[in-house]
Amino acid sequence: MTTAASEEWITSLGIDLGTSTTKLIVSRLQIKRTANAFSMPKAAIAKRTLVYCSGIYTTPLLGDNELDYPAIADILEREYRLAGISFDEVKSGAVIITGETANKRNAAKVLHQLAERAGDFVVATAGADLEGVLAGKGSGAEARSLEIKGTVLSVDIGGGTANAAFFRQGACIATITFRIGGRLIMLDNEGTITAVAGSFLPWLKANGWDLHSGSRLKLEDYREITDRMAESLLSCLAGRGSGESDALLLVGERPAVLPAADELMLSGGVAALTEEAEPTRLEEAARFGDIGPLLAGSVMRAAAAGGFRQVAARQTVRATVIGAGMHSTEIAGATVHIPPGVLPLRNVPVVKAELPPAVMDDEGRLNEAVVQAMASAKALHSAEEQAPFALFLDGPGHCTYAGLQRLADSISRGWSAHFPQQAVAVVVCRTDMAKALGQALQRRVAERVRVVCIDQVGAEHGDYIDLGEPVGGTLVPVVVKTLAFSRPPGG
Amino acid sequence: MNLKCQVRGRVFQFRDLRELMAKANEVKSGDQLAGIAAEDAAERIAAKMVLSELTLSDIREHPLLPPEQDEISRLIEEGVDEEVYGEIRNWSVAGLREKLLESSCDAAEFSRIGRGLTSEMIAAAAKVMSNLDLIQAGGKAEVITRCNTSIGQRGVLAGRAQPNHPSDDLAGIRASLYEALSYGIGDAVIGINPVIDTADSVKNVLSLTKEVMERWDIPTQNCVLAHITTQIRAIHQGAPADLIFQSLAGTEAGNKAFGIDAALLDEADALARSQKGRTGPNYWYFETGQGSELSSESHYGIDQVTLESRCYGLARRYNPFMVNTVVGFIGPEYLYDSKQVIRAGLEDHFMGKLHGLPMGVDVCYTNHMQADQNDMDNLAVLLAAAGVNFIIGVPMADDCMLNYQSTSYHDIATVRETLGLRPAPEFERWLERMELMQDGKLTKRAGNPALFVY
Amino acid sequence: MEAFSDEAAKLTAELAGSTPARIGVGRCGTRPLTRTALQLRMDHAAAVDSVYGVVAPELLKEMGLFTVETLSGSKERYLRRPDLGRRLTDEGAALIREKCIMKPQVQVVVSDGLSAAATCANIRDVYPALLDSLAAYGLQTGTPFFVKNGRVACMDHIGEILQPDVLVMLIGERPGLVTAQSMSAYMGYRPRFGTLESDRNVISNIHARGTQPVEAGAHIGTMLAAMLEQKRSGTSLVL
Repeated sequence: MTTAASEEWITSLGIDLGTSTTKLIVSRLQIKRTANAFSMPKAAIAKRTLVYCSGIYTTPLLGDNELDYPAIADILEREYRLAGISFDEVKSGAVIITGETANKRNAAKVLHQLAERAGDFVVATAGADLEGVLAGKGSGAEARSLEIKGTVLSVDIGGGTANAAFFRQGACIATITFRIGGRLIMLDNEGTITAVAGSFLPWLKANGWDLHSGSRLKLEDYREITDRMAESLLSCLAGRGSGESDALLLVGERPAVLPAADELMLSGGVAALTEEAEPTRLEEAARFGDIGPLLAGSVMRAAAAGGFRQVAARQTVRATVIGAGMHSTEIAGATVHIPPGVLPLRNVPVVKAELPPAVMDDEGRLNEAVVQAMASAKALHSAEEQAPFALFLDGPGHCTYAGLQRLADSISRGWSAHFPQQAVAVVVCRTDMAKALGQALQRRVAERVRVVCIDQVGAEHGDYIDLGEPVGGTLVPVVVKTLAFSRPPGG
Repeated sequence: MNLKCQVRGRVFQFRDLRELMAKANEVKSGDQLAGIAAEDAAERIAAKMVLSELTLSDIREHPLLPPEQDEISRLIEEGVDEEVYGEIRNWSVAGLREKLLESSCDAAEFSRIGRGLTSEMIAAAAKVMSNLDLIQAGGKAEVITRCNTSIGQRGVLAGRAQPNHPSDDLAGIRASLYEALSYGIGDAVIGINPVIDTADSVKNVLSLTKEVMERWDIPTQNCVLAHITTQIRAIHQGAPADLIFQSLAGTEAGNKAFGIDAALLDEADALARSQKGRTGPNYWYFETGQGSELSSESHYGIDQVTLESRCYGLARRYNPFMVNTVVGFIGPEYLYDSKQVIRAGLEDHFMGKLHGLPMGVDVCYTNHMQADQNDMDNLAVLLAAAGVNFIIGVPMADDCMLNYQSTSYHDIATVRETLGLRPAPEFERWLERMELMQDGKLTKRAGNPALFVY
Repeated sequence: MEAFSDEAAKLTAELAGSTPARIGVGRCGTRPLTRTALQLRMDHAAAVDSVYGVVAPELLKEMGLFTVETLSGSKERYLRRPDLGRRLTDEGAALIREKCIMKPQVQVVVSDGLSAAATCANIRDVYPALLDSLAAYGLQTGTPFFVKNGRVACMDHIGEILQPDVLVMLIGERPGLVTAQSMSAYMGYRPRFGTLESDRNVISNIHARGTQPVEAGAHIGTMLAAMLEQKRSGTSLVL
C-alpha cells in the first residue's frame, strides 16, 4: 500500500521554572501529514528529537517572594546562543512554572513575558496536574505504559512538589500532587534549619514537629521527617489509608479513587539523587543545603517496602522540561476550516458544550447546550470585547448532515445574539467534522466573522487553548493547557 | 497431436492445445470472463476426452507460452528431471491419471513421477480427474519441510496463525496470536499480513512475534507478508524473519505485476540462506491463487488452472517451507461460487503436491461470492482428507484486516479431532508441556488467551 | 463451555479490547459458542444482503437523482463480468445526453456498486455536504444521476459523454463483516476511456464508524477544487 507523506520539522522549546532549578531544552518535532491512496489525510507528530539540554540553573529570585525576570531572560539569551538557535525559529513549545515557584508574587507575569520572549507560539503553562502529566511524558512513563499491559505511575519529585500521574495505554488516567519536595526544608552543615516553606508548616506541626529557622536537628531527626514524608506519599499512591494529617500534603483535590499501579517510575531532581548512596553524615546530607539527598533515600526505601515494581526513568532531573518542550504540542485533524491570516491565536479560553448523540438528535436540547456554553463564554469577557473564545464540542462521534445543519444554526444564532461584535470565532471539535462544520458556519455568518474550526482535539471547560500558525497550510499545532492563574494577562 | 473428436454425432474440433486445456476445465467464472471456457457441458467433456489421449510429449512439444518468451516457462523446463521424463514421455494424460491412482503408486513413486512432469502436464492430469481423484492422489504425497521445525508428516494438520490487525497494532496482533496459541494453532507459521509496508513496521511485527516465541519457547517460525523488497530491507536492519514471503504468478508478466522476477527471488533466496539461527533447509513461504494472471492481464489466453500450476513450477525451484493457495480471495469473477472454490482448492492442492510442494490452502471466500461458512467447513474437511499440510487460522474465520472469511482457530482444532490428525510433532510436544493438549485433544486450559499474558 | 477464572476473564476482556478480531470468544469442545457462531453468520448475512440489495427509488427521488443502467443487466452478470459494469447502456447514454448539463465543471455520480446498503446509509450525509463544499469553493456542478450496477471505471464512459472537468463517483464498496455500509469516493480530472487507475484519487471507508461522511463530503470538495486548479488528478495531485 503506498503512502504519500509530507513532513516538516519545527523547533520546539521547553523551559521549566522550578522551585529550586531552572532548565531549558530544545527539541525538533517532525509534523507529518500522511495521505495513503485510500483515505483522508491524517496529521501527526511523527518524531520528537531532543537536540539540546541546558545546564541546570538555580532559579533566580529577588528576595523570598519574587522571580528575577531580567536574570531569567539572561539565562534564556545565553542558552539560545549556546544551542545555536534564534528566537524566530522557535515555533512551538512551552514554559512551565512549577512547584513553589508558581506561588511567587510575579509568577504569572514572568511566565507570560518569558513565553512571549522565547519565540512564536511558545505557550505559558502551569498547574500541578499538567506538571505531572508533562513530567510523565518526559520521563518516559507514558511510552512505557504502551509497552506493558498495566498502569505506570510516574512520580516527579522536585524541590517543592511531588507530581504523580497514572498512565495506561499511553493515556493519563489520573493525577495527584503532594507538597513534598527536597527544598521544603533548608539546612546548613551543622544541621541548623535556614528556612522552612510556609506551605509545609501545617503538616509538620500536625506531626508534632515545631520547626522554624534556627532550629537545630540531628541527622536522625531529619531522616525521621523525610521517612514520614516518603511513607505518606507512597502509601497514599498505593491507595492505602494514610494519616489524617496527610491531607495537608495535598495540592488541590484528591481523586475519589486512584488506579492501582503496576509499575513505578520516579523522576525529578530528588529521583536523580537516588542513584547515590544515602548520606551517613550531616555534611553529606546537607551538601545542597536542603533535605533532597535524605528524601531521596527515604523514597527508595518506602518504594521497596510498599511493594512497587520500580522501573528506571529515561529522564530524571529534566523530565518536566522535556515534557514541556517535546510533548505539550499536538496537531489538530488534517481537514480543518481556517481562513487565511487568523492564526496564531493564543490563550483562548475554552467553553464546553457536551453533545452526545441524544442531544444532537433533539433540537431543543441542542440549543440549550449551545446557549449555556455561550452564556459562560459571555461571562469571560465584557460585551464590547472582541477577544475570541473557543467553543469546544464534546461529541457526538458521528454527525449526520441534518445534525450538522442544526448544530451550525444553533451556534451561529448564539454568536449573533451574544457576540455581535466578534470578528473571529473559534470552534474546536472532538469528532472529525471541522471542515464540514466550518463551511456550514462560515456560510451562515458570511463575511462578518472569520470562523476557525479544528477537530480531533480534546479539551475541558476552563482550559486555555493556543492555536499555532498552520504548518504546510493545514496542520495546526495546538496546545491545550490548564492555567493555574485565573485569567490570562490582559484577559 | 490430435485435437478433434466425435461424440454422439457431434464433432468437436479444438484450435490448439491452449484452447483445449481451457475448455477441459471444470466451470470457472474466470475462464468465462477471459472468453476461453467451453461453450457447453458436452464440449467441456469432449475437451477432457481429447486431452486425456494426448501424450506427455505432445504437451511438452507444444508449449502454451514458449520459453523464449517467458522466464517462468524457462524455469519450468529447467526443473524437469529428464531421466524420469524419458521414461514416461509416451504416457497419455489418461495413463498418467491412472498410474497416479494405482494402489501400487506410493508416496515415493508419486513424487518420482512428479519430478518428470512439467506444470502443464500436471494441470492436464488435474483436468481429467474428479474431486475424489484429486483427494486420493493428492493424499499420496508426503512432503516434509523444515525451517525451525518440521511440518508435512502424514497424520499432521498444521495451522498458520494469522493474527492480523487493521492498523498493525502490536497489542492487537499479540492478543489475537495468544488466542491462536491457546487453540493449538501456529505450528505452520505465525504469519501477519501487514497494512503498513515499511521496513520499520515490518521489523516491529517480526520482533513482536519472535519475542512471544522466545518468551514461551514456541517451536515454530515467523513471517510478515510484506512486499519482498520491504522484507529484505527489514532483514538487513536486523529484523528476525524465519521465513521470507512472496506471492507468485504463473507468467513473467504476472510476476512483474507483483514487482518481482527470478533475479529478485534468487537474491532473496541467497539472503534467506545466509541468515543464521534456523535449521532449514526450507525458508520460503509462497502464496498463489487461480485468477491472478487474468486480473493483471498477463494470462496470454491460458486458463487459470494451468497458470496456477505454472506458479508451482516456479515455486519448486526454491524448495519452499510452505506454499499456500489463497483459493477464494480473488472474487466471483474468477471463482463464482462455493462449488468452483471447492474444485479449485482440490486442484491446487493436488497440483502442488505433484510438484513436490508443501501445499496448504487458505480455505476462504469474499462476501460477494456465492459461498458461506458451511462451504468452508466442507472444503476444510475435504482437504484434510487429502492430506493438506496446513490451513489458515483466523479468529472466528473473520479477518478484520483483509476483510474476507477463512477458517478459524476453532475449525482447525475441530478438523484435527474429527479426523484424528495432530499438530506438527514439535509443536504438539510444546502444547503438552503447556498442558493445552493431551493425547491429541485440547485440554480444559485451551481456548484461554490470558494464559500467555506476561 | 469452559469457564476460566475471573482474573483470566478480565485479562481476556483486555486482550479482546485491543483488536476488532473476534477473540476471547470461548468454546464448546472445539466449536464456537452458539451466540458467537450466529453473530458471525448475521454479519455475513448483512454483507450478502447489501450486495444483492437495491437503493430505494424514493431515496433517489429525495436526492434528486435519475437512474441509468450499465450493460450488466442483472446483479449476477454484474458480479461475473466487471467489464459490463464499466459501460452505460445505449439508453442510459442517451438519457444523460438529454438530461445533463454538458461540460460541467464538476459532475457528481452516485452508484450502488457492490453495496446498495452503503449508498442508502451514507448518501444523505455525504452528498449534501459535498454540494455545500463545492458551493463554498464557488464551483459549478452539472446534473447528478444514479448508475445502477456501476463499476468505478464507468466514470470513463460518462466522462466521454459529458466531458466534465472533474468527476466524482460515490460508490458502495465490497462489504466486509465490520460494516456492509462502507462507501468510496473516486475522483478524476477529465476521465476518459483509457484513464489509468493511478490517475484517480479515492477516499474509502466512508461510514458512520469510519471516515465521517459529512467530513468526507467537505474534503472531496477540497480535492476536486485542487484538481481543477492543478489540472490533474491521481498520484501527482498535490494536496
